[in-house]
Amino acid sequence: MTPEDFGLREEPRRHELSHDHFGQSDAVDAPMFDTGTTIVAVTAEDGVVMAADQRMSLGGRFTANKNARKISRVHPRAAFAISGSVGPAQDVVRSLRAEASLYESRRDEPMSMAAVSQTAGHLVRGLPVAPILGGVDDEGGHVYELDGGGSVMADAYAAGGSGMQVAYGVLERRFEPGAALADATDAAVAAVDAACERDTASGNGVTVATITDAGVEIEAVDDASEATATEGRDAAGDSGEVA
Amino acid sequence: MQSSDQQAYDRGVTVFSPDGRLYQVEYAREAVKRGSPAVGVAAADAVVFAAHGRPRSPLMEPDSIEKVHDLDGRLGVASAGHVADARRLVDYGRQFAQRERLRYGEAPAVEPVAKAVADQIQESTQSGGTRPFGAALLVGGVVDDGPHLYEIDPSGTPAEWRATAVGDGSEAIRSHLEAEYATGLDADAGLSLALSALEEGADEELTALEVDVAVLDESGFEAFDRDRRATALDDADLSAAS
Repeated sequence: MTPEDFGLREEPRRHELSHDHFGQSDAVDAPMFDTGTTIVAVTAEDGVVMAADQRMSLGGRFTANKNARKISRVHPRAAFAISGSVGPAQDVVRSLRAEASLYESRRDEPMSMAAVSQTAGHLVRGLPVAPILGGVDDEGGHVYELDGGGSVMADAYAAGGSGMQVAYGVLERRFEPGAALADATDAAVAAVDAACERDTASGNGVTVATITDAGVEIEAVDDASEATATEGRDAAGDSGEVA
Repeated sequence: MQSSDQQAYDRGVTVFSPDGRLYQVEYAREAVKRGSPAVGVAAADAVVFAAHGRPRSPLMEPDSIEKVHDLDGRLGVASAGHVADARRLVDYGRQFAQRERLRYGEAPAVEPVAKAVADQIQESTQSGGTRPFGAALLVGGVVDDGPHLYEIDPSGTPAEWRATAVGDGSEAIRSHLEAEYATGLDADAGLSLALSALEEGADEELTALEVDVAVLDESGFEAFDRDRRATALDDADLSAAS
């Protein structure tokens, strides 16, 4: 089973090659007018954990895709979780990835998270999207909430999408500053799981992204208590080329 | 310096001389020959670039001389001639490589990038008010079907090579490559060949300080730091007292 990632394949740079798990491109490109999603991002001791449900809905009434990958790597150590309209969000992810890669080629060093977040803020302005950006740089883990007005708000943890109230309810109890990655992962997954139970526009499993100094790992978990790596799900991942 | 019948045909670049020559393009090729050289070798599973960047003064930071350039993490460029002109072309290539991803969702291979840059150069030879680019580029990388190495000259002509050189001493370098190149070289042997060829075109001994090295293989572009350049010179039996 290959997760849909909205056609957001990524060409890996040298230092990313061992952990690229992007899905293939034949995603269903359905219009999505409402935010029907639960996404969260949590800073931890050595990084950032992001989680998202895997349901793409039409107007919050119909499940248009049950296997949607809503978190994509956009930078060697940053990932982007999307909520809102799918098409504009896809554009933002592709453009952000191009900007980050161009920056790295031109300056011979990856963008700082401050620079990535500001670039993302420029890109989302005017679009019906409300994504979350998470990443790690020399200063540690960072989480940013963005919206279509172009706002960029740094925080220690954040939730977004139609399930955000339920997810925040869990995070308010379970977020601990400087928690170990495993504990942060449990909290993030629990938040998305709870939202999947009560938000009709969220569901169909959880995707988790773990961002550390070593890079971005994206995997699907079947159960809140057990993160299951899905190595090999994604045949197109490593090369990033069209099969 | 030049005969009077030539005079009328080297003022504007878009003007052919009666015998069918574009003098400005030829002068641009001369500018490339005055630039320090760059060598490219396509090995079995890698493309190797070696270039010579001479600091004008001991006060100059040698690593700030740009001879090999990362295009998009996978492809690279080595340049000779006017650095300022080469930088413009390299950045055009970088933007082109990202635009291809946005447009098609796939990273471009060596040939499309080389030809896009070549077309950009060609435009400068046929547009009013422009002068040609005084730089020659080697574009290389390893994509699906193996290593590819292209040379682009100031006329905007792309050509694929197994090994070649641009810049000062390129003829001596190329004849060394013609004598020594063998198909199926591995990356290390390709690098040694590129460095020994580069030394053929140099007046003095190569040092790790002045040599620029990049290897492009399946995992992408990698420029060598000074220590690895010294090791590479040692491996090529070129004493590297730097």
